[in-house]
This record gives sequence, structure tokens and C-alpha cells, in this order.
Amino acid sequence: MTNTQVPPVRSRPAAPPPSLPRPSARERGTRLLAALFLAPTIVGIVVFTVVPIVGSVVLSLFHWNVIDPPSFAGAANYREVFGDSTVLVSFRNTLVFMVFAVALQLLIALVLALAVNGRMPVWLRSVFRSAFFFPLVLSAASISVVMKYLFNQDFGLVNWLLGTVGIAPVPWLTSENAAMATVVLVYVWQQFGFSFLLFVGGLNNIPKEIHEAAALDGATGLRKHLHVTLPLLSPTLLVASVVGIINALQVFEQPYVLTNGGPGDSTRTVVMVIYESAFEQLRFGEASAVGVLLFVLIMAVTAVQFRLSRRFVHYE
Amino acid sequence: MTDPHVTRRTLLRYGAYGAGAAALAGTAASWDRLTGADIPGRDDGSLVVATLGPAYGPEAIRTLTEGFKEVHPDIKLRINAVQAVDWSDFFAKILTQIAAGTAPDLVYVATEGVQLFAQRLGVALDRWVKRDAAELREYFADVHPSLVESMMYEGSLYQLPVEFNAADMYFNTQVLKRAGAQLPPADWTRDDFTTLLRDMKKSSGSQFTPYFWTNRLWGGVVPWLFANDTNLLAESKAPGGAWLWDSFYPAAQRQGRGGGFRWTTPQATHDRVEEAYDYLASLIQEDLCTRPEGGNGQNLIGVFSTGRVGVTPAGGFWAGGLHLAGMKSDGFDVQYFPRWRTQRMQYGAAGYALLRTSKKQDEAWEFIKFAARRDTLMRLFETNQTTPARRSMLTADRYRESGPSQWQVFYDTLDRFPDTGPIPAPPQVAEVEQVLLKHTGTALASPRSVRGALRRMQGDLEKAMERDV
Repeated sequence: MTNTQVPPVRSRPAAPPPSLPRPSARERGTRLLAALFLAPTIVGIVVFTVVPIVGSVVLSLFHWNVIDPPSFAGAANYREVFGDSTVLVSFRNTLVFMVFAVALQLLIALVLALAVNGRMPVWLRSVFRSAFFFPLVLSAASISVVMKYLFNQDFGLVNWLLGTVGIAPVPWLTSENAAMATVVLVYVWQQFGFSFLLFVGGLNNIPKEIHEAAALDGATGLRKHLHVTLPLLSPTLLVASVVGIINALQVFEQPYVLTNGGPGDSTRTVVMVIYESAFEQLRFGEASAVGVLLFVLIMAVTAVQFRLSRRFVHYE
Repeated sequence: MTDPHVTRRTLLRYGAYGAGAAALAGTAASWDRLTGADIPGRDDGSLVVATLGPAYGPEAIRTLTEGFKEVHPDIKLRINAVQAVDWSDFFAKILTQIAAGTAPDLVYVATEGVQLFAQRLGVALDRWVKRDAAELREYFADVHPSLVESMMYEGSLYQLPVEFNAADMYFNTQVLKRAGAQLPPADWTRDDFTTLLRDMKKSSGSQFTPYFWTNRLWGGVVPWLFANDTNLLAESKAPGGAWLWDSFYPAAQRQGRGGGFRWTTPQATHDRVEEAYDYLASLIQEDLCTRPEGGNGQNLIGVFSTGRVGVTPAGGFWAGGLHLAGMKSDGFDVQYFPRWRTQRMQYGAAGYALLRTSKKQDEAWEFIKFAARRDTLMRLFETNQTTPARRSMLTADRYRESGPSQWQVFYDTLDRFPDTGPIPAPPQVAEVEQVLLKHTGTALASPRSVRGALRRMQGDLEKAMERDV
């Protein structure tokens, strides 16, 4: 009879952490080179991002109208901002815009990426990729000017086309109900190409064997996409949604050109309020306070996204 | 696999490259090179004049610079044509230049910004006007006192008007013919206007809109407020100004003139304001009129010239615009804004404002005088891109090629209706304009929303007017 009893493992005293070996001259050279390459970017970030952010925070504590010297205001600008219904409405509008614009953008981009990734001649795939990406390289302001003509209630091409099938003219840009939807549509049309390209790249990275294995297990069609494609695409989805949300929260050109924030305040966004307060009404302190609040909002939303991503994003 | 480490030799090589690059950079830095100061005219002691870019093309800039050089060869001049969509965009850019420490000496300012510039940035021209009174007598005799009064603030004159535009009514003659209508008479009424729109609608297809207007401070709802004998803000005159009126205008013309307009208490909830909005809302409901849309009327030229719009309010500037767009001189005509309770009309004027920060104020004054000279304006406004402030420039010859046949209307709006007034533009104009556009959009965007929107407009206007700029 053999003794199968396992002897108790005796815990050893914790060993002191090994001291890091001194980097060799070669390693020091590599680090120096890396630092040299990174330096321009770091300087750029500090000069063009960190300094303006700090400057905005400081300016938000002052009254400044460009003409007179700044005077210290403490929290007065923030009190003013929180008591201003236009600012509050603009935050609501921006959040509503973000939800619909990002959701639509991701959905359209994903569906089209799946379609283009399917069986299709290579040349046709290239045509679609270029066509979907093309609006992104155009200036948002010029696109919005064209769209303003197209969506004009009385003379626009869109209503003319609807009229040919007997549909009454829609006040795309002059009705409180329709204006935001039109701005979202125009924005999504221009922006979805970025997410589309990300998704196409992400889909190409999914090994074919996994899909084949899933097919052998009986997963087909929608089920295959829900249980195989989407989980494997989740890192790309995270990147696309983070970038999409940050861009959407800073939307300016489309509502500014298409509706100038109207009718009423129905399409006024936070960045529009910042522009109007600073450059039209000469209230740079209040504009900076709104800018700081937008910065905080973007950071908070992005942090929540990354927090949630731990549950939904699969890297393997 | 690539070795990520760098050898000592490689490092030395990079070091040598770096040293070489530093030596080259040092040599380059020691050479004479171009900087911002080398841009022609910058920081070279020139008198800098900021103008609204789109209105001042290269030809106009040449006219001003070369003409001024002939008169004042000792003063260097630089025209800075600031590209901007509209006046508020232009002011924003000028203020940015001021904040950046590169303020111009003179700025082309329209009625919208006169009081803001006068209150915060401008220099009163009174002492120079008094000094050069003899020289200026001819100018003032040629310019309507109302235009001059619109450039005054609290008794002082801040600009010499060089152009203006009153909100008159343009008609597409082809549409009039289609409707079997004639150009309305000068004393036509609001009801005549409504009837004409209905006739136009009946005689044209579904893709036709009789009346087009843009939602803005000039030419939007405000002319209707003037016609209904009311306004956005209570209007009064500042005391003073006698020094100017007594020197340059005969008794009949200086009667009732003061030291400039004062725009004070908001009156958006006034019955007549509501009546004007209700009227426009009724036109929209009846499909006779476009809904309020922002913009500057540029997109209108296409639809007007092709007969998809019958009537629109515009100033003398449109004669040049339509002509350049290829419209024949008999393809359109113009008439005064219709009478309601009054036939008082709205206009906006523009001229050069001298900034306090300027260190060349005497030279700047010479430019102001030069820019208001008849020969300068004749060369500058050749294409009828605006209505010149000088009455004598409006002649049949000027409008023979471009039209309209009723070109006299442009200046007669002031002469025939001397109470015609400027845009209500207090120093808080940017916020006032934003409030007006915002609530007009809401008031007319859906049926039965006028009263609520005007109540909110009143509240916002009160807040805006209480604010210091």
C-alpha cells in the first residue's frame, strides 16, 4: 500500500524583492532615443492641450470682456452658468444629440461593415469603403451649407423628392421637433465612415477558424454575429464609441450652420454656447466656465465607458 | 527578429547627426529670415483699416490704398479685409485681434455695432468734425441726417456713414405678370400685400413661395414692427448733438434730431409686437410665406431669380447682387415696405470707427474723410453692391444697366419717410439679436406659439439689457 497522503506544504518566508539590475549602456541609449522621439509629442500636448485647459480653468474664475482688464470673479461665472436656462438646455441637447448620433453612427457603420465584409468582389468592396469614408474628409461646415439647401422646407431637394410621391413638405430645419433629428442625420452621414473603417479592420482581425467552428456548432446568421462576431469586435466597438462620444459632445459646425441653434434653443449645443458667450457676447469668463464643465462631462463619460468596458469588452 | 537595442556605434552616429542638425539650426537661426513682421504693412507704421472682407475685394482695396496714397503720400495704409459671414462674425474677429494686441486703427462698423464700439472702443470724431467743418459741409449736405444720427452716441458722432440699406420690397416682375398684378403703388398697405401674395400663390405652382424672409435683426420681423409703429426696445433720443445739426443741417432737417438713438426697455409683449408676429404666423399658416430661417439671404438670389419666390425684403445691395447673378434689369423691381399703422421703415448704415487704442488718430481721421469723399465712393461702389450714403450718387445712369427701374426708392425711403429708423442696436446688440432670432424661431415654428415665445423673449431681453457689455 502506497502512502498517498500529501505532506503539508510549509510556507516559506517571503523573499525580498529582487533589486532591479542597473540598465546597461545599450538600454540607456534606447531609453534616451525613445524619449527624444516622444519629446515633440509631449511638448505639443503640454503646449496645445494642458496649457489651454489650465488657462480655461483660470479664466473661468475671472470676468473678462477682452476690452477691459480681467477682474477676479471667484465662482460667480459658475453660478451664472448654472442659473442660465440656455446653458442647461444646451447640455441637455448635447447629451440627447450624443446618444442618438453615436448609437446611429455605430449601428450603421457596423451593419455596413458586416455587409462589406461579406462575399463581395474586391473592387466593389473598395468602392464602398471609399464612398463611406469620403464624407469624413470633407469640411463639416461646407457639408452643412449644402445640406441646408437640400433640407430647405420650401426649395430643398429632399422635400421636392418627397413631393413627387405625394408627401407634404417637412420643416426639416425650422420645426423644433424635426431640427435636432435633421442635425443628427447630417452629422451621422458625415461621421459614420470613421467607425466603419474601424469595424472593417476589426472584422478582418477575427480569425476565420472561429467562425467556422461556430458554424460547426450550429451558429448561423444573427446568432453567429451576436455570440461570436460582436464579442470579438468589442475592443473595436469600445474605441469607436469612445471617439464617437467625445466628438459628439463637442459638436458645433453642423448645428451652427444648419440651424444656428434654433428654432428656439432646440439645437443649441454646449460648444455653440461657448462660442456665442465668448466671441459674440464677450463673456470669456462664463464661456470658460462652460468649457470646464464640458471637459468634466467628457472625462466623466469616458471614465464610465472604460469602467463598463471591463464587463463587456473581450480581448481574447 | 529585430534587435530592439541600439549599439554604442549607432548611438554615436545619432549623436553626430544631432550635433550636425543643431549646428545647421544654429547657422539658420543666425541668418536673416522672414518673420511675421515681414508681412507687407505689418508693424511698419501703417495705418491699419479693418473692413468686412466679402464686401471689399482686391479691386476695392486697391481703390482705397492707391487713392489714399495720392492724397496722403506720407501716410502708409494697410487694408485688412477680414473674412466673415456677417457683422457679428466680423466683430468677433475684430475683438479677437484686439485681444491679441493687434488692434487695427479703424474698423468698418455697421449700425449693429455702432453703440458697442462707441461705448467701449471708439473715439468720438467731434473735435475733428468741428475743426474741418468747412471741408465737411459738402458731405453733410449730401447725406441724410437720419444716417448721421444713427452714427451718434450720447451726443457725439462716431462715424461718417458711407453706405446704408433700407428694408424695401423686391418683386420678381415675371411672377407679378403671372399673377396679373402690377407693381404696387408707393402707398400700398399691409392688406394689399396679403392680397398680392394670395394672387401670386394662386397663379403659381406648389413649388412656389410668395414671400421669403430671413430671420435676422435687419429685414426679418423688425421691419414689420416698424410698420406697426412699435419696436423691440423702447426708442428715444439722447440729448445733445446740436453742435452738429446747427452747423450742417437747415432748420427743417434738424428738427427732432438729437444726440443719437437710445434703445432701452424691452417691449416684446407689447400688443403691436404680438400683432406683427400673429400676422407673419398667419402668412405661414396660409402657405404664403417661408418659416423663419437663419442666414444672410445669399441662398435667396437663386430662388428669387428663377421665379420660385415673388417678394422679399432687401436693400439697394440686392440690385447689384441680382445683376451679378445674371438677372436682367427688367426682371425685378422695388417698392417701399407696405404701410400698416405707419410707413416707417428700417435701415442699417455703415462707416469707419476710430479705435481708442490707435496711435495714429489724426491720420485715421484723414482716412475717414477720404473714405467718405464722393469720388472715392463712386469708384468703390461701382457695382451697386450697396446704397451709397451720398444722395447725389443715386442716378438713373448708375442703375441703367443693373436695374431696378424704381431705383429712386432706395434713397427716397429716407427722404420721403424721414422718420425711418435704424436697427434697434444697443451696446448689448449681440445678445439682443440672439434672443430675437431664438424666440422668433420658436414663435413662428408652430401654430399658436406666438404669445408664449414673446413672453420668454421679453424675459430674456430684460436680462440682456440689464447686463453690462
